Amino acid sequence: MDLLLALGIGVVLALRPAEVPIGLRPTYLHLFIVGWISQLIFGVSHWMFPRASKEDPRGTEWLGWVAFWCLNAGLLLRVITEPFAHDGAGGIFLVVSGGLQLAAGIAYATHIWPRIKER
Amino acid sequence: MPPASARLQRTALLYLVVGIAIGATLLAAKGLGFTLPYVPLMLLHAELLLVGWLLQFTMGVAHWMLPKHAAGPERGPEGPVTAAWLLLNAGVWLAGLGPVMAWPAVVGGAGRAAEVGAVLAFAINAVPRIKPFGVGRLAG
Repeated sequence: MDLLLALGIGVVLALRPAEVPIGLRPTYLHLFIVGWISQLIFGVSHWMFPRASKEDPRGTEWLGWVAFWCLNAGLLLRVITEPFAHDGAGGIFLVVSGGLQLAAGIAYATHIWPRIKER
Repeated sequence: MPPASARLQRTALLYLVVGIAIGATLLAAKGLGFTLPYVPLMLLHAELLLVGWLLQFTMGVAHWMLPKHAAGPERGPEGPVTAAWLLLNAGVWLAGLGPVMAWPAVVGGAGRAAEVGAVLAFAINAVPRIKPFGVGRLAG
């Protein structure tokens, strides 16, 4: 979904660069790099990394859900508000968006860290 | 997973959190209209997340999951992978902090050169492990 949205914005940026709000460029990059590549890494590592334990193979799964919801809510908020945010306008929404994405990163790192196991 | 993979992945996770924290700060500055040294911090943000997080995590997973050798050390020599880890992280900090600390451009250049060295060192280990299914078992 994020990949399609990023590529769709990419089409608009290529066809009508002068008419697109300047804030849409970082939105495009972040949809691609955070929404697609990083989120795919989150998902594949949650699936394939060594089991946390025999009884609880995926470990702190709820943290994985926190990462998923925070990352996507933060990105969505950014997509909606950033193109129109400048000189302080849109303020608190961008703060919340950044906070949600940071929470996603911390939740994911905390979730996957114990599953990085040396042998 | 091998120790070198775990080291790459754990370091990458640290960069993920620090890199997003810098990005969130920049976003807050944009939203609330307070001034930060935007360009140097944005360059550091990009360096930490693109090289420190994405590239390094991918290297860690690749070293763990690429096909193993049939003879000798199953994942090839660990030395080049350790060298890649050292060079990559030296490169991230030199190239990322250079603009923030207003260091001479040669420092950032040295950082980028270290990153090239990291990729070459990693390739020494990884390239021989990229082979069609079953070839390693027959050819060794």
